[in-house]
Amino acid sequence: MSLSEENIILPEAAKKKRSLAKYWSFELLFGAFLTCSLGVLVLCSGLLFPDGGEAIDLRARLMEPFVSWQHILGTDSLGRDILARVITGGKISYLVGVASTLGALVLGTLVGLVAGYYRGFWDVLLMRFADIQLALPFILLAITVMAIAGPGLDRVIGLMIISQWVQYARLVRSGVLSLREREFVQAARSYGLPDAKIIFGHILPNTLGPIIILMTLNVANNILLESSLTFLGLGVDPQIPSWGGMLADGRNYVQVAWWIMVFPGLAIMLTVLGLNLMGDWLRDHLDPLGQTAK
Amino acid sequence: MPIAKFAIQRLLQAVFVVFVVTIFVAFAIRLTGDPAIMLVQESSNVTEADLERIRAAMGLNKPFLVQYKDFILGFFNGDMGTSFFRGPVSNLVAVALPATLALAVASMVVSMLISIPLGIRAALHKGGLSDQIIRIGSLVGLSFPNFWLGLMLMMVFSIKIPIFNSSGYEGPASIVLPAVTIGIILTATNVRLVRTAMLETLGAQYIMVARSKGLRERIVVYKHALRNSAITIVTYMGLQFGNLVGGLVVVEMVFNWPGMGSLALDAIYQRDYPVLQASITLLALMIVAVNFTVDLVYGLLDPRIRVE
Amino acid sequence: MTFNGKCNFGKNYNSRSRKANLKRGVGVVTALSLMALSSVAQAGGKLTVAQVRDPGSWDPIDTFTLAWGSVASNLFDGLVYRGPDLKLVPGLATSWEFLDNESRIRFKLREGVQFHNGEPFNAEAVKFTFERLLGDEGAKGPQRSNYTSIEQIKIVDDYTVDFIMKRPDPVLITKLAGYGAMIVPPKYTAKMGEEFNLKPVGTGPFKFTSYTPSVKITFEKFEDHWRGAPKLDELVYRFIPEASTRMAELQSGGVDVIYKVPLGSLSVFDTHDNIELAPVASPTIDSLRLKTTEGALTSDIRVRKALNMAIDRNAIIESLLGGQGKPISSLQGAGSFGYDASLETYEYDPKKAKALLAEAGVKPGTKMTIDYRSADSDFREVALAITSYLRMVGLEVKINPVENSVMSKDVIPNGKTHEMYQFGWGGWTFDFDNTAYLLYHSGERYNPYIKSAKMDALLEKQRLTYDRELREEALQEVARMAHEQALDIPLYNLNTVYGISSRVKNFEPAPDDRLFFLNTSVE
Repeated sequence: MSLSEENIILPEAAKKKRSLAKYWSFELLFGAFLTCSLGVLVLCSGLLFPDGGEAIDLRARLMEPFVSWQHILGTDSLGRDILARVITGGKISYLVGVASTLGALVLGTLVGLVAGYYRGFWDVLLMRFADIQLALPFILLAITVMAIAGPGLDRVIGLMIISQWVQYARLVRSGVLSLREREFVQAARSYGLPDAKIIFGHILPNTLGPIIILMTLNVANNILLESSLTFLGLGVDPQIPSWGGMLADGRNYVQVAWWIMVFPGLAIMLTVLGLNLMGDWLRDHLDPLGQTAK
Repeated sequence: MPIAKFAIQRLLQAVFVVFVVTIFVAFAIRLTGDPAIMLVQESSNVTEADLERIRAAMGLNKPFLVQYKDFILGFFNGDMGTSFFRGPVSNLVAVALPATLALAVASMVVSMLISIPLGIRAALHKGGLSDQIIRIGSLVGLSFPNFWLGLMLMMVFSIKIPIFNSSGYEGPASIVLPAVTIGIILTATNVRLVRTAMLETLGAQYIMVARSKGLRERIVVYKHALRNSAITIVTYMGLQFGNLVGGLVVVEMVFNWPGMGSLALDAIYQRDYPVLQASITLLALMIVAVNFTVDLVYGLLDPRIRVE
Repeated sequence: MTFNGKCNFGKNYNSRSRKANLKRGVGVVTALSLMALSSVAQAGGKLTVAQVRDPGSWDPIDTFTLAWGSVASNLFDGLVYRGPDLKLVPGLATSWEFLDNESRIRFKLREGVQFHNGEPFNAEAVKFTFERLLGDEGAKGPQRSNYTSIEQIKIVDDYTVDFIMKRPDPVLITKLAGYGAMIVPPKYTAKMGEEFNLKPVGTGPFKFTSYTPSVKITFEKFEDHWRGAPKLDELVYRFIPEASTRMAELQSGGVDVIYKVPLGSLSVFDTHDNIELAPVASPTIDSLRLKTTEGALTSDIRVRKALNMAIDRNAIIESLLGGQGKPISSLQGAGSFGYDASLETYEYDPKKAKALLAEAGVKPGTKMTIDYRSADSDFREVALAITSYLRMVGLEVKINPVENSVMSKDVIPNGKTHEMYQFGWGGWTFDFDNTAYLLYHSGERYNPYIKSAKMDALLEKQRLTYDRELREEALQEVARMAHEQALDIPLYNLNTVYGISSRVKNFEPAPDDRLFFLNTSVE
């Protein structure tokens, strides 16, 4: 690394402030482009592939990609069209990602607000709940729970909410803690405003930035988690096409038919990358204090 | 609040957390099936009386709380119990714990080898093209499903180009692929961490002074700035370590790495209560210990946190 | 985690696959190289085998997995020996005879046999082994229940023992060739207690050296083995649950023999000159069992027959299973005692199936569900293919994953299954008794639905006699009844496919999943 060539870092950096904005936008644009284009495809999957890629045809199994127009990305071991399944399978990923994040947001925000604002007993209790959560390795918890309940979409979402509300609770709580003592909240209180008004009118809006960032990153993360769980056979119903399920199906064929594993893997990667790029950009712009540093 | 009192309070809370986690796991696993059945499901001649005998030998006919008490007292007296199927738990943990720690450490090393130079370069070129490429590149790493990345690496580097062992626990070469898999995924976070920490230190006054004294840039960056960023970096990585240990399950499975994750996973599938309880308790203890230490350090650094 | 015990039936090498033919030569090669080797008699070296799972305990009375048999058959011997040809021949006993109206079996023991630790093998060791198995120690484990027909062991002299029987047990001699009946050294075992699990000692050709849980177990050759010292110096088993990982290890040379090559990936090895595939019929069969109780759609025999006719078993075997299997007509493979070659699988005939369904009043679009074990992704593929066949006859079938132990503990025993549920079964004894009793005798754990006085009587009768003809007839009758009533949908009997590096000489996989490396060598 030839560092000595550029030994004028700070002034340089200052000068670059303007061009910086341009690059950040590229990050955002690229991320948004990935997320939206994949999102639109996935939303339209019902129109594009009415059968959802579920048609089994043992005579057309393991077809290579880029050979036939009928199966551009090839077929899997049961002769199902990979392209149709990748696009249809995205529905589950998006659904799990968004639903579980919203659930965790609501639960975590409530807990965090109560804990941070009232402190004392509630704070200790709720935060110990949070600690318990953090001390339980998620995948193991998931396996245990799935063993009792059996796989299913609702359970996957529930598990993710349980595993992630803590992050929101901690974030909101610390936001509340630092804001609680600030002048405008003190002032509001001295005017006798009810607690609810202070919380929702003053404190919550001020923690919004970090929350949005966390949500973006969590949707990404949940898509990865869902695929891991489904890969392990502990996620969603295997009869619904999902990326994790496709990867599990392709596992034994990885050397015979690489395309069964490669395309859903890329789909996950690009979706998650799009979200991560946006989250990263948001973090730079909405969270200068680095509260959401992972 | 004096720091000693704060520490004791946090310690009590940590104990409570461990208690709840262990009792939850002990309870939950008992809802999920009968290990006696797992033991005899291949045999057609087993009678209900046989099953009863096996359950008694496993200690399953005692009340739940007694079973839990026996386990927890034993555990903290150094006796992790005996697996239903695999001998003393301590033997299993003696293999699994070092394996997991080794993999966690190796992954962090890989990640640091990538993220320290990249993070420094990104900081030095803040806003420049290489900063962008490094950030986006590291985000790509974060976006892979870890088991998928692992399988792909295995296909390429142990089958197509046979350089590394594909699996197992057979000497140093076998740790490379799993460690790289996890290392790549940790890199996005760590590049950002190094970059931020370096930007902070590079802006500090003593760096200005060092520069103004005409020290060579390389020395300024690596000797002064990096060393001073090290505390922040190490603290965060410590936190990461705690989470890492419990989160390796799927990668361990793909690479057949005999770590704590695999041990617990097998125990769940087999309904091996003693092994599951001991391994989760250990993992929970480790994570709680890391959190406790971090709490304590923050408490020392920022007295406001101690105020209740 | 496959369920149950597999056993195998004969070597029905399936000649359909190209590779299978290639490998079929293994037996012949074996014989030839055996001669070659005995003249050269050096070789030595180390052989590494990849097993799927770590049995975790090496004590014969604690075992419950086929993986145990695959490893420990090199470590222990029984009174009877059953090798890859499945013939029962003398092992540590040189002969046996039935006395006193078959209530007493007298075994003559082999003289001059030593355990790995130097203890002598004699009548005392046999008595100790079985008293331990049937006593308190054995009561903690799963093996005891297989041997409860034995009342007591009497020492006649140092090398003669009598087994006094509580009741006839026609499968006993077979059962003495494996698992719980492996002979252990009395002094050492008593001294070690629980630790015997982790430091096993037997009389087999290989001597235990080390064990790392979940990683590997290693052996070295036992020079004083009674059949002569093995050719290999070292034998290592590594435990690798992931099939794709086992394949990668074989390809990269990390291991020499792998168990269970995934059937979808056999073609990978077409391009590997240094790897051979050796398929051998496995003891297990796969099937869908049916809910026959009143109210279920499948309580109607016409529906059950229609389901049997709607599935093209051959097409599934050819496409998804690499051609490595045979359709079956009852819940046993061709190597099983009780198999009836004249019993034909329901012909694939979707038209007739449709007609039968219409006759039974099942409307097109009717919904059904198949329960399967969630960890079994191979079977899921098959189940999905089955749903597509059933769709062709107008049924909308869903597959429903159930966690393994929940299935064994709750769903099946308590009759909570849907119309169809996965059942894979087989016993290493290759005797249909094991399967049939458990699945058709009323009140058995794995038989929640079927109550037939006639089947009960047949099954009970054959259990109490050593008369092979009578037993075979009874077992075949049970199979025929199940077939006629279409109580199940028997699917196929699969081959287990071993992947073997060409440096391995003289290895023949046994159909009962056990591996014997006495005569094997490596280049």
